[in-house]
Amino acid sequence: MIEEKDIINVDEPELTAGERLYLPQIAGGMRTTLRHMFKKKITVQYPEQKRELRTENYRGVHRLNRDEQGRVACVACFMCQTACPAHCIHIVGAESPWEDREKYPVQFDIDELRCIYCGMCEEACPVDAIELTPEYDLVGRTREEMIFDKEKLLMVFDRTKETKPRKNPKITGYSGTGCADEHTVTERGEAH
Amino acid sequence: MAKITIDNQEIECRDGIPVLQAALEAGWDVPHYCYHPGLSVVASCRLCLMEMQLPHPKTREMGWAPKLFPSCQTPVKDGMVVRFDSGAVEQNQKACMEYFLLNHPLDCPVCDQAGECHLQDYSYKFGESESRMHDQKQVNPKKDIGPQTLLYSDRCVMCTRCVRFAEEVSGTEELCIVNRGGRAEIDIFPGIPLDNPMQGNVVDVCPVGALLDKDFLFKKRVWFLESGDSVCPGCSTGCAIRVDQSDNRVQRLKPRYNPGVNEWWMCDEGRFGWKYVHDVERVTRPRLRRGAEMETPAWESLGEIVRYRFEQQVDRHGAAKVAVLLSPMMACEEAWLLAKFVRELAPDATIATGFVPMVGEERCFPVGCNADDAKFVIRREKCPNGRGVELVAEHFGGSTCDFDGFVTKAGEGAFEAVWVVGGYSEEWVPKALATSLAKIEMLVVQDMFESALTGEAELVLPACAWVERDGSFVNHAGLIQPFERAINVPDGARRDGQYLFGLAGFEGLYSGARVRALMAEEMDAFREIAEAPRQPAHQH
Amino acid sequence: MDWLIEQLKDQLVFSVVLSLVVFAAIMTAVAYCIYFERKISAWMQDRVGPNRVGPLGLLQPMADGAKFLLKEDIIPAFVDKPLFVLAPAFALIMGLAGFAILPWGGMVDLDGDGVVDVMCQVADPGVGLLYLLAVGGMAVYGVVVGGWANNNKFAFLAAMRATAQMLSYEIPMALVILLVVMTTGQLGLDDIARSQMGEGNLWHVCHHPVAFFIMLVTLFAETNRTPFDMAEAEQELIGGYHTEYSALKFGLFFLGEYAHMIIGSGFVIVLFLGGWHLPWVSFLQPEATSVWAMLAKMSVFATKIAAFLFLFMWVRWTLPRFRFDQLMRLSWKGLLPVCLMLFAYVTVLLYLGRQTDLMWTLGGNGVLILLVLIVAGTMGVPVSGRQGNLSTLPWEGAVRAR
Repeated sequence: MIEEKDIINVDEPELTAGERLYLPQIAGGMRTTLRHMFKKKITVQYPEQKRELRTENYRGVHRLNRDEQGRVACVACFMCQTACPAHCIHIVGAESPWEDREKYPVQFDIDELRCIYCGMCEEACPVDAIELTPEYDLVGRTREEMIFDKEKLLMVFDRTKETKPRKNPKITGYSGTGCADEHTVTERGEAH
Repeated sequence: MAKITIDNQEIECRDGIPVLQAALEAGWDVPHYCYHPGLSVVASCRLCLMEMQLPHPKTREMGWAPKLFPSCQTPVKDGMVVRFDSGAVEQNQKACMEYFLLNHPLDCPVCDQAGECHLQDYSYKFGESESRMHDQKQVNPKKDIGPQTLLYSDRCVMCTRCVRFAEEVSGTEELCIVNRGGRAEIDIFPGIPLDNPMQGNVVDVCPVGALLDKDFLFKKRVWFLESGDSVCPGCSTGCAIRVDQSDNRVQRLKPRYNPGVNEWWMCDEGRFGWKYVHDVERVTRPRLRRGAEMETPAWESLGEIVRYRFEQQVDRHGAAKVAVLLSPMMACEEAWLLAKFVRELAPDATIATGFVPMVGEERCFPVGCNADDAKFVIRREKCPNGRGVELVAEHFGGSTCDFDGFVTKAGEGAFEAVWVVGGYSEEWVPKALATSLAKIEMLVVQDMFESALTGEAELVLPACAWVERDGSFVNHAGLIQPFERAINVPDGARRDGQYLFGLAGFEGLYSGARVRALMAEEMDAFREIAEAPRQPAHQH
Repeated sequence: MDWLIEQLKDQLVFSVVLSLVVFAAIMTAVAYCIYFERKISAWMQDRVGPNRVGPLGLLQPMADGAKFLLKEDIIPAFVDKPLFVLAPAFALIMGLAGFAILPWGGMVDLDGDGVVDVMCQVADPGVGLLYLLAVGGMAVYGVVVGGWANNNKFAFLAAMRATAQMLSYEIPMALVILLVVMTTGQLGLDDIARSQMGEGNLWHVCHHPVAFFIMLVTLFAETNRTPFDMAEAEQELIGGYHTEYSALKFGLFFLGEYAHMIIGSGFVIVLFLGGWHLPWVSFLQPEATSVWAMLAKMSVFATKIAAFLFLFMWVRWTLPRFRFDQLMRLSWKGLLPVCLMLFAYVTVLLYLGRQTDLMWTLGGNGVLILLVLIVAGTMGVPVSGRQGNLSTLPWEGAVRAR
């Protein structure tokens, strides 16, 4: 509740006769712009020059991380698809062919044109499998080309793992029930 | 009606029900795993314990009992006083939840139950956010217990609902508990898989992700699903079901509570019997014969074409040569609209009721019981609305006949203009009918799949699957049950109801309720429509 | 060569040749205007500007032109087709029509025989200024017709705004032009330019600095340039009167706008800044009639125009857009009264025969500025926000009372 004493009424400032004519202000403004005309330019000549990026948190193209064995780290939990405000992620999950994993994505598509690069998918991912990389210069000739599938996203990981190492490579995914190894058990024990 | 007091609030409840049920119906969200209104009470999960006032054993004075009592096992008694909001009750819930989660793998991200899981819900609402368990979790194996069902033992809370279901409802008794105490787990007997026509229900009754349906496994996360309340078209029982769809595709069917019809259950035949809906072979476009050519007429011009051609036939051969075959796969509304249209064009037209597929015997559950004691019956009449189209045909009166009569008459050459409705998921046209109808001048076939008749037809109209339509079915006992549309029709098609609505001379958008209101003016049976009661959201 | 000069001695032939030359020059200039607009905006914002096409980006206008030509020319289904096609052409034609009477270089003696052969002007009707006003009045049609033909409510709104704005600012503009006419007693543009040259004559800007300034302001408004570019307010109107236009048609609107700027600058220069004249330079006097003098005069005139164009751009990248009520207030409550006062004062001077007396004219201007300052300083009308003298709205009573 806002109390009466906290309200401050602000009136328009009274203008002097000179200010009322606008002209001194206009002259002042024009002096400023003229001064800037001769200042040093700050343009970055993009393809030749490139800006330094903060690789840890720059939100560029996505990648799908691989675990130590080179398999896709994603467990197809659909959390990123759920969190995505632009509805640009499409996953098809299936039973994984691996002993130690329950579910994996047979198909994992991100429409990079539709994506707004908010990073919510990265936040939502329980196994840190999806991450946004510092890569930003992606181009394509067709819309289809800009829908990145699983292979393409894994390739982005291979390209960028040197510049941006995987955040938490320890979590490898939810193992198949009944086949849990020791470290995943403790990992889970901590949670909840 | 008994009156009991829960948390200082007096409520009225049905006699003889457990306190838990009364509390649930009155709106309390009481956590419970083992209790299911359709199964016997075992009071094993201890989550629903409440404080109760009992008479003192010696003085008979009413006073709070020193211990908590399972509310699922205590029947209501007039004047009873119980407390759900006390500290002791909360303490018990926390302790129970911690215990349930001791060995829980917490693999919610890959568990299909996530989103509709009562471990998640109760843990969030009644549990603690941290576990004090620091020992290694006990890992139970994942078991393939049947052709349709998987058992993830480590997610199990040992509520034994599935075991009781197999004993009490399906009566097949495949499931059991093996081992004792902390090592107890659900299992099947060696060599006897969980394979009975009702087994899908164990997945429904399981409050957690221990029993999962292989058919739906990893297909969709449940929060992407949107539901429509429907009625199963598999047989004349008319089970109330929920159609869960996403992206305009049916993902699964689940039973809805429907007292006196299917209670809480449905059979596997119905549960998995929707696959034909997404068959690519379906007829999705109208097809009109013009000379030797087949063409696709615009839906807008359809009414005109049909009317013109039928009128031509009536002029040429007389109104008695016109017939319509109403399929028991149609909704009552659609049958009524079609019959109305045909009778308006040709007042002497024959209204025939369609082919009723009969398969095997009535199957009563629990297995081995007789029909009177059955908790669930799978009927041999494999169509949802045999009674309904009969009702419509009776209402219009005049020249009516059943399917056999129709086939005979058609063989005798009694008809020149016929509108045949199919809509079956399987081949249904008898050879005799196909040959006799091939000779007539004007044949309209409204069906889902190509058949011997569609090849001969002047006009082929796509029939939609029941999930794409809305209307009502009348079950074997004469109960009229409405169902709503769950998904959109395939590209190019239109809802049967919609084009029949237009043909019958109405304007605007078809809806089952709208047509039922029109029918109610003529047919008493449609004055009151039975709708399955809605259960409290937190009851499962 | 001689034959050519003989031919050119005919005023008609000369006019045709001149108009062709001027047209080509103007079109190139317009294209480069866009280039400089972008460059200057970039410089003023500490950027580099277009620098990829050709050296220093100088081929950018060609690339832009090629793009306009090659882009898909969309005519939406819902537009008024004939008007839709006509409007951009109209905008450009009306922009270019004014060039016919610009005096580029005075009298010319082509063959050096001491006899003046032709006048370096496409046409010099005796009523040149009326022609100017007529063409200026027609210019609004490009915008209005464009906005109307769009069949888009936002574009229509833009067109309506533009109409109201142009009509409002045409009145002070006409009054200012009238001042010049009264001072010189001439209507032909060359005559007006000539009246500012020679012994004892000064550029009119010396006599009428306030009028010159008002002319400048109205010129900004008439050409739809910032801060008066109400017709293309992207924020409120999606695009403006040209929302539905694309490709070459859109380009024509652009060309029209810049052509308008050039011609407007030309007129201000003729009316107030002596046209091609520079004092104390012998070959820039009306007496110098050689071909070389003509070329020098033309380049001086062009340089003056270029300076004005820079001013246009400089202002555009400095000032924000007026709100529409502020814009209207400026015209009707600011410029118009001042113009009327000036008009009355010059009438009195004319009666006294003192219209070219520097002391009298400048003195009057000084008194006027002082008067305006006093009025503006004491009125206390808020410059922004709601107009002060509007009647109080019922639900505002409480707020106002405090």
